[in-house]
Amino acid sequence: MARQMNADGSDGIEDRGVDAFELNTSIANLRDLLASDLSAYDAVYLGDIYCRLYEANFLERPEDLREGLRILRDQGKRAYLTTYAAPRNDFLPRVRKMLEVAAGAGAQAVEVHNLGILKIAHEEVPGLPIHVGGFANVYTDAGVDVLRGFGAVRFTPNYELSLDEIREILATSGAAMELLVHGKMPLGISDYCFLLEYEEKWGIKCPDLCQKDLFLKQGDWAMKTVGKGILSGKDVCMLEHLPLLLADGHRHFRIETVSETPAYRREVGAVYREALRRAAEEPFRQEERWWDVVRAHARIGVCNGFYFGKSGMDYAGIRPDAAGSLLTISPSAG
Amino acid sequence: MVELLAPAGNLAMVEAVVANGANAIYVGPRGWSRRRDRYELPEEDVREAVLMAHVGGAKLRVAINTNMQSHEIPPMLRKMERFVAWGVDGAIMTDIGAIAEVHRRFPHLTIHASIGANILNDEDVRFYRSIGVSQVVADTKLTLKELASRKEQMDVGIEILIHANYCYTYLGKCWMSPYHRLERTTDPSGKDQFKGSPNRGGLDYRVCLESWELYSGITRWEERVALKNDAFFLLEDIPRLIDLGVHCLKIQGREYPVPLVGDMVRFYRDLIDGYLAQPTGQPFDLTPWRATLARIEAGRNVARGEGTRLLLIEARQPVPAA
Repeated sequence: MARQMNADGSDGIEDRGVDAFELNTSIANLRDLLASDLSAYDAVYLGDIYCRLYEANFLERPEDLREGLRILRDQGKRAYLTTYAAPRNDFLPRVRKMLEVAAGAGAQAVEVHNLGILKIAHEEVPGLPIHVGGFANVYTDAGVDVLRGFGAVRFTPNYELSLDEIREILATSGAAMELLVHGKMPLGISDYCFLLEYEEKWGIKCPDLCQKDLFLKQGDWAMKTVGKGILSGKDVCMLEHLPLLLADGHRHFRIETVSETPAYRREVGAVYREALRRAAEEPFRQEERWWDVVRAHARIGVCNGFYFGKSGMDYAGIRPDAAGSLLTISPSAG
Repeated sequence: MVELLAPAGNLAMVEAVVANGANAIYVGPRGWSRRRDRYELPEEDVREAVLMAHVGGAKLRVAINTNMQSHEIPPMLRKMERFVAWGVDGAIMTDIGAIAEVHRRFPHLTIHASIGANILNDEDVRFYRSIGVSQVVADTKLTLKELASRKEQMDVGIEILIHANYCYTYLGKCWMSPYHRLERTTDPSGKDQFKGSPNRGGLDYRVCLESWELYSGITRWEERVALKNDAFFLLEDIPRLIDLGVHCLKIQGREYPVPLVGDMVRFYRDLIDGYLAQPTGQPFDLTPWRATLARIEAGRNVARGEGTRLLLIEARQPVPAA
């Protein structure tokens, strides 16, 4: 399944018709990688971008990263390193080290969310293709041009952009774009983990705290929290809109699972692989069992993010039941 | 000499901050800055603001610091051409593509990387320097040690926010507000508006300040959790920042009443001048300044609290059909 790259480090999937696409996901540590069935995916980003203290984060463990890259390579997957979304000066020595490890161990790209890390990667590991992540604030075609000058070959547009706006960038730049098609959309990142305030009260210590599937709720609003990271409560779901994405020329699709279970990763991934194969057909035949899987894993419901120019938690589509229902409220304290 | 940079959400505020000792003023052209439109200036007022600032011996910067759309860059450049012709002294910007285009077209214009650029480390600074930025606004979460590192190692001006909000998330890396409510409209000039998205020039509904409950699965673990979000005024750090050689001390608050902003500027003008007039090596007594700042802070808290209450109500309103 591994593919060759062009001279500029891009994979050139866009040139190979609608049957060629990349479905990728993200995994934070070796334990999670070993527990995951990745048969639905072409590529995996290794690392947690939010917190250095995340349990056994690939971004802090050179040996684990080497092992993770080897496992992915042995499975025929493309193996990518991701990097921190909000690195301060004291992160940078570790970032440099992990870039060196990744390049030496055969990573096929690095994802950067921070422009300082972009500059480091471009200058210090020039052979490693660079993917620009969603926190890097790609809003314009002119921005893509600037980033290309620093070696970037693939771009996740800022999550706030609509498909129309992404189309505009694509039309003028021709750049390879990567879109989040399913999963919790990042909404923000902090330098402070408020969960640490509850270690004693709950009797749960870091790094277990942020793995408790925690949601902030108020009325019909909900957000998932992983401590320093705030994510959408609803799962972005573009399942019924895949033909539109292919027609727009997109070929790189992400299912964001870094804070999800191996079951979520396997089952949702399988749905999207099957759906993407069918999405180029007319008509696009959807299976009810796909929606059963989506509903089972999206406990707050689904949304389209900002792709249709509306509030991120809205859902537009022909499946009125897709929005789902909110968590059943149980007021008893834990 | 450290510069005191003040906000102006209208011409009356321009007049007030100049009169109270601001060395420089920033205004947002309507639709193009990180504030809602009622705190931005129509283009003819930007021209007037330049004149008022220059007559008062101050500089005038335009904040064109939205994350704009690709097709908005050409009209932004035409707008910037007029501003440059009117004599603006600098542009505060966020989008890297827009920055690069402006630098290419107006190489002598000073470009300040906005707080929305979220510049967090020294390599970030070098990146922005390489595309034409000569001054950067330091993120509110940075420590003095980090700022010192930047100052020592780089040929770049550092701007410090001395009155601003310390959000839970990093500024420029947060879209909690538009996730909950985004209202897209078009203004009379044809400019797209993104009410709910601060990064795109609309207002921020401050949803982080909602009274959040915390759930694990279906069980409520906490009835009320707070995502830290405090407005702050610096006082104790001001002498150290001046000694460190920061280029600019910046006040935020285009949305506050004119008298309040005038008071803020006067306070910091007098504080800076008082510290600079102190003979070298002598301790600077901040005691008398604390009481004055407490009074200003109380006024700010009232204005901010009411603003937050109204924003959270507005955030719950249905978005009108297009």
